[in-house]
Amino acid sequence: MGRYVVRRLLQMIPVFIGATLLIFLMVNVMGDPIAGLCGERQCDPATAARLEQEFGLDEPVWQQYLTYMGNVFTGDFGTAFNGQEVTELMATAFPVTIRLTLIAILFEIVIGVTLGVVTGLRRGSPVDTGVLLLTLVVISVPTFVTGLLLQLLLGVKWGWIRPSVSSEAPFDELILPGLVLASVSLAYVTRLTRTSIAENRRSDYVRTAVAKGLPRHRVVVRHLLRNSLIPVVTFIGADIGFLMGGAIVTERIFNIHGVGYQLYQGILRQNTQTVVGFVTVLVLVFLVANLIVDLLYAVLDPRIRYA
Amino acid sequence: MLLEVRDLHVEFHTRDGVAKAVNGVSYGVDAGETLAVLGESGSGKSVTAQAVMGILDIPPGRITGGEVVFQGRDLLRLKEDERRRVRGAGMAMIFQDALSSLNPVLSVGDQLGEMFTVHRGMSRKDARAKAVELMDRVRIPAARERVKQYPHQFSGGMRQRIMIAMALALEPALIIADEPTTALDVTVQAQVMELLAELQREYRMGLILITHDLGVVADVADRIAVMYAGRIVESAPVHDIYKAPAHPYTRGLLESIPRLDQKGQELYAIKGLPPNLMSIPPGCAFHPRCPLARDVCRTDEPPLYEVSPTRGSACHFWRECMDD
Amino acid sequence: MPDGRHEPEQAIAGTGMGGTMDLGVDEAEALEKRPGGGGGPGPEGKPRSLWSDAWRDLRRNPVFIVFALVILFLVFISLWPSAITSGSPLTCDLSRAQEGSRSGHPFGFDGQGCDVYTRTVYGARTSVAVGVLATLGVAVLGSVLGALAGFFGGVGDSVLSRITDVFFAIPVVLGGLVLLSVITSNTVWPVIGFIVLLGWPQLSRIARGSVITAKQNDYVQAARALGASNSRLLLRHIAPNAVAPVIVVATIALGTYIALEATLSYLGVGLKPPSVSWGIDISAASPYIRNAPHALLWPSGALAITVLAFIMLGDAVRDALDPKLR
Repeated sequence: MGRYVVRRLLQMIPVFIGATLLIFLMVNVMGDPIAGLCGERQCDPATAARLEQEFGLDEPVWQQYLTYMGNVFTGDFGTAFNGQEVTELMATAFPVTIRLTLIAILFEIVIGVTLGVVTGLRRGSPVDTGVLLLTLVVISVPTFVTGLLLQLLLGVKWGWIRPSVSSEAPFDELILPGLVLASVSLAYVTRLTRTSIAENRRSDYVRTAVAKGLPRHRVVVRHLLRNSLIPVVTFIGADIGFLMGGAIVTERIFNIHGVGYQLYQGILRQNTQTVVGFVTVLVLVFLVANLIVDLLYAVLDPRIRYA
Repeated sequence: MLLEVRDLHVEFHTRDGVAKAVNGVSYGVDAGETLAVLGESGSGKSVTAQAVMGILDIPPGRITGGEVVFQGRDLLRLKEDERRRVRGAGMAMIFQDALSSLNPVLSVGDQLGEMFTVHRGMSRKDARAKAVELMDRVRIPAARERVKQYPHQFSGGMRQRIMIAMALALEPALIIADEPTTALDVTVQAQVMELLAELQREYRMGLILITHDLGVVADVADRIAVMYAGRIVESAPVHDIYKAPAHPYTRGLLESIPRLDQKGQELYAIKGLPPNLMSIPPGCAFHPRCPLARDVCRTDEPPLYEVSPTRGSACHFWRECMDD
Repeated sequence: MPDGRHEPEQAIAGTGMGGTMDLGVDEAEALEKRPGGGGGPGPEGKPRSLWSDAWRDLRRNPVFIVFALVILFLVFISLWPSAITSGSPLTCDLSRAQEGSRSGHPFGFDGQGCDVYTRTVYGARTSVAVGVLATLGVAVLGSVLGALAGFFGGVGDSVLSRITDVFFAIPVVLGGLVLLSVITSNTVWPVIGFIVLLGWPQLSRIARGSVITAKQNDYVQAARALGASNSRLLLRHIAPNAVAPVIVVATIALGTYIALEATLSYLGVGLKPPSVSWGIDISAASPYIRNAPHALLWPSGALAITVLAFIMLGDAVRDALDPKLR
């Protein structure tokens, strides 16, 4: 196991470098990194040249990248457009997005798995057909549409919730945004659980469990569910990275000041340091989440042993 | 009689139509007796066993008639919860492929111990001790250490021993073994079969052995029931059948076994294919493949003729068949 | 998949998990367990091809027919929007801003006083164009790279796998924001280019997987043994058998690309006014959500139905091609 972890960590390095380099290049080559530094106005040539020198922008891009990454590994993510340290922005933004992601994951597990088990056990029933259709609708409607509609209904029309989230973003205000963020994954979790349950239901070991005279709930929970949830758990694990990166839309709809909001601001103001810094952390989260998923796989399925 | 199946009918409803898998099967087993049920794939031998055991997939399966009387009670009339208590405790089943029949993510100790925690209400610790005991009983070496292992860590023969141990756990009165050795290496087959026969004698259990392997049958069975197209075509004590089969299908099965004294001769094969269960031929289902078939076979379904008090054959021309 | 999530493979590519319905099960044994349930050709039936079988299933599937008609209609109005609307999407009258439905203007007016019906009709053109062109690009680039990597293996395959890993690690919406925020061009091409750039790894994975599976088939090995050239093997023997999953995934992806374009336009980095796009209209209508919800609801509904139609179509085709999953 230990050797496997080491090998996987080594494999993560090129992906990490590739992804961050790609974003770094996108931001630097496509954009004008100093445009954001002079505020709203165009920089005058002299200031521009001075700034370029100061930030090392006259050096080749790969050198800039190395310098930047070197700084990142000493904990220096640079400064944002308003002079704040990027790490300070992260300290306020990440807890909010992590709360939001947690709520989303909770929805996936509770609602998605439950619906999947119910439909998987009753394949072909009206409940199954209905839920299946609903999942396709949820997958089809873009998140920003779902979000706006729910905000319109629950927030504006019926007044059940505050249409936008306050800056502290406590858990209770994040429930609806969390559901919106989870919606598409929730539909996938439902479908995945359903397929998995329906497939395993006919398996020999379930038949054995029935032949042993076990009560139905024990057959379902201990024998069927335990096996069927392996792919679901890995999906949900891998989803953590996507949820955090995908929160841009949700955070914008509900005006949540999390990672997505900071990234959006950073991109609009072409603030290289903010964008690359946040993306670097997101990529790391994604990679670590995937590693954990792979290790979890071995815990859940004893047939898999990593050498 | 420990178990008596009477006139059992099972159908499967599929997209393409209704398949008549079991069409009026009757057989019985006494305590300590071994009944071998013989037949090709699709003859209904496994479906009958699943109906007896109560593990048929319903739907698509449906029991449309008959009785399964076990220790004096008709199981088909029991409520599901009562039925469940019979499974595992009163009768147990051994499946063909132990690798897929054992749960891959639970240790063998958990799977064995489960019988005691669920049916007997034992603590997990006591159940674990029982599991070790059972593994010793089926002669798995180093049981105490291996009880924590998972099915994939055992060899094929050892896995099948675990299946046997699981079936024996609550000392049931009846064991149904569905092709218990088919998936194993030939060398291991004999060991597993011997173990099963020995344990059966020890506990005086009834044993229904479902197989298509006549070689296994000769050594361990007391009686044989031969099935074809969901029906019993011949039922007899084992020695009678080997001496003189009373049904052309049984004869065909016996003649298709390779024998040392016939070296060089062409092997006999029953011509044609088993019938499609959606459209079983009228009359005797075997007539399209039967060397003795005459007009009456195409129209009249043969009853199970009494050949002797202990023997029956569903062939209009069973006398002719025995004389050959 | 507007958030750029990648579907779990079980839900999209129809890869079974090797449960009880394993193909390895002896056909006779399968019959024993489920008499008459064998899916193979009947004793008298002629062997049927995968495609004609699938087509026969599809023609009898009401879901397929309904959504295929929806798609035909969408294609029609994106080619000839003037067939069902006489107005222009850019003629707006500020004095009528936020007005509701009235005769001649069934969907009412938006915040700029533009006719919502006309703009919704014209919005289809953008969505269909982006969806179709991006899918074509992704399918060609992804399946060629994936097929070559799967067929030849080796270093090229490993490199491609690592590259796809890199792309998977970047959230799609985020990449779109970064790349497209600096582009001022007001055509559909930057959005299409961006989708192709970030979309091809998904298709290349699918193509690679199915080529590897097809490559192991006995008849391919036999053709190789008979001295067939690589190009002949790939084109005549492998491609026809590997193309099904690519088509299914591409159809579903088409729907998600339409959603992605709308999402990017909503965020202000996809298409920009005066282009006509549902995403732009939804974004523009969201501040007036209290007073003029109709301006939000009509383009949202059109967008949802369009995406749904493509995803349902892909789903139906997948079911038809892979009866094992039913």
